[in-house]
Amino acid sequence: MMNLAQQLQEQAKKLLEEKKVDLVIGFGQGTELARNTPVFIDSPEGVSALTWGPFCANNLAKYLSDYNNAPGGTAVVVKGCDARSVNRLLDDNQILREKVVVIGVPCPGQLEWQKVSAEIKPGSTLKEVVDNGDSYTVKTDSGDYSFSKKDYLLHRCLVCENPNPVISDITIGKELPVKNYEERFAEVQDLEKLAVNEKSAYWDKQFTRCLRCYACRNVCSVCTCEVCVFDQMMPMWVSKRTNLSENTAFHITRAFHVAGRCVDCGECDRVCPMDIPLRKLNVKIHKDLGDLFNSPTPGTEPGLISPLGGFSPGDPEEFM
Amino acid sequence: MFKRLLEYVGFEPGRFKARWISGSEGAKFTTTVKEMTETIKSLGPNKKMRDDII
Amino acid sequence: MESRVVNKGQISELLDKLAKDYNLFAPVKDETMTLFRRVSGAQDVLLDYNNSDISPKGCFLPQNEKTFSYMYTGDSLEINKPEGAQKTVLFGARPCDIKAVLTFDPVFEGVKFGDEYYSSKRENSIIIGLSCTKVLSTCFCYAMGGGPCDITGSDLLLTEIGDKYYVEVITEKGQALVDAYSQIFAKQDTAQLAKDKDELAKKLSGEFVRKVDLTGVKELMDNNFELPYWSGDDQKKCISCGICTYVCPTCHCFDIFDYTTGDFTGDRIRCWDSCMYPEYTLEAGGHNPRPTRKERIRNRFMHKIKYHLDRYNMVGCVGCGRCVIKCPVNIDITKIINDLKEVAQNA
Repeated sequence: MMNLAQQLQEQAKKLLEEKKVDLVIGFGQGTELARNTPVFIDSPEGVSALTWGPFCANNLAKYLSDYNNAPGGTAVVVKGCDARSVNRLLDDNQILREKVVVIGVPCPGQLEWQKVSAEIKPGSTLKEVVDNGDSYTVKTDSGDYSFSKKDYLLHRCLVCENPNPVISDITIGKELPVKNYEERFAEVQDLEKLAVNEKSAYWDKQFTRCLRCYACRNVCSVCTCEVCVFDQMMPMWVSKRTNLSENTAFHITRAFHVAGRCVDCGECDRVCPMDIPLRKLNVKIHKDLGDLFNSPTPGTEPGLISPLGGFSPGDPEEFM
Repeated sequence: MFKRLLEYVGFEPGRFKARWISGSEGAKFTTTVKEMTETIKSLGPNKKMRDDII
Repeated sequence: MESRVVNKGQISELLDKLAKDYNLFAPVKDETMTLFRRVSGAQDVLLDYNNSDISPKGCFLPQNEKTFSYMYTGDSLEINKPEGAQKTVLFGARPCDIKAVLTFDPVFEGVKFGDEYYSSKRENSIIIGLSCTKVLSTCFCYAMGGGPCDITGSDLLLTEIGDKYYVEVITEKGQALVDAYSQIFAKQDTAQLAKDKDELAKKLSGEFVRKVDLTGVKELMDNNFELPYWSGDDQKKCISCGICTYVCPTCHCFDIFDYTTGDFTGDRIRCWDSCMYPEYTLEAGGHNPRPTRKERIRNRFMHKIKYHLDRYNMVGCVGCGRCVIKCPVNIDITKIINDLKEVAQNA
């Protein structure tokens, strides 16, 4: 039986050979054992670079809009969460359905590469990864290492809503059971319970660290503006100075600008070089969207109208 | 939504208010402004996002 | 110059004293991060760390710096410059980051263009380095002419050996400092410690797992500005964020702008800029000589492995590995160097 990576390679090869697409965006081995990296494959010979495993954290749907004006089609490898991005991009008319082939892979959770890397002997080579349900066994030439999912998964994966891609043309691998995590909003609720000055102090501490590298914005699959308000110099809405005031303005604006469109892929949170818990802002908005509008996570189904982008006479209208 | 987000990051409740007031609702406008002024006075000067914090 | 010894038990006392007499910058823990901050005493300082998340370059080139403030009153323009830098000690910086400061010097203290803000900080600061005790899988300082116990650039270099720090006095500034705190910097026979340090350096130099070799790469770059290589995956996957440049200890590009309040008063501020941003070299007329990610990525890596060498005869990378760790899409300078080497060999 072929493993998932081999199946992926075969499907990608077929798509390229039959000229159904000109490009396949997938995951390839990165420069660290526990790291994969986006690869862009434009010929059937190149498909051997494709891989799959618990080190495929990136949301590759981000790149689809780069190829919207390319003459041919583009195939993209997505996990469940990334598939929500595809739906959202389609609903925002950022990509054309007929030009995109979605290769969905059910995902049992992605590991935090730095945590994993710290345990493995430097310079080791990866042999294979085995999913044991509650843990992964990473087999290398320097021995086998076991990583419990509870302790080593990316935070976002611990409360995964869609292990199975919500949109997929070609699905690789078996469908996984879907769990309902009641603790999805637990961290947000804990913060909500704090007194005003405690909340303020908590976020001040986080926002002070911000370097304004804009990785959180740039990695976001639904941040699709051609020119961003934060890059504008005339008028300078937010200055380039990094201080608490400007950083706070940036983070509130960023979070709110994707409200109703953020698919909770958690990429902003993963890429932040200063470990600012950005998902806690996004998930707060998801919680409120649910509480006020009974709205599911954006992108969960195709054609879902954002409660903030539509009108309904039944709106809670807290501002009347 | 925005009001909830602001309070979540530590702005006092009442610091930000949005009200829909039609051009013909003069009375509602005055009461809203009065209420808002009182709330703000009782809250005192805003401490968040001050330009003097470098 | 000479060498001294500090007992580990006395490090707190030293830090407290330094914090009193100087602006003291040292590594601190901020939640999950290790960052260089100004500290008020030993209690905040963390010396048991591998590589800080952000380099200490901000001591010499702060992310935000007021160059002057201005006030226009209708008939006169008043300009106020900030005072020169205060006496500062940068404590516990790793050899790679200190070597990085040396790459700044010719840029900001060049004969043609002196930068008083930088020079003032540089002249008034003492750098106390701290040898590494561990090599990370992302480290490659050895390939950039440095090493985990390299003294280059430090005024004093501390090396942790057992319950002591072996102190090498490298400059006159360093000498003055050990003399001023001679009760802590003890004069002892350091022959054994020097041997231990050499042993440590030797042991660590065998622990690098990244094979990086710059030979021939610059020559390739000299003759090939346009290489198909730059159109490859790296420019496709780059998300144009500023992480690599902001965490980089040698990146020093800055932007200058006025922050004005409505009444004609304001500050002229200089802040870090990143060549990864689309507006980095955007000209007023709308033209951008580096219009796409391809040109921007090429610029960053050519700056490291060619331009800095051309101008100052120094590699513009010190091998700290921060950009390798932090890049969200795993663009890796060591891979780029190795790939280019392969291109050069096949040419």
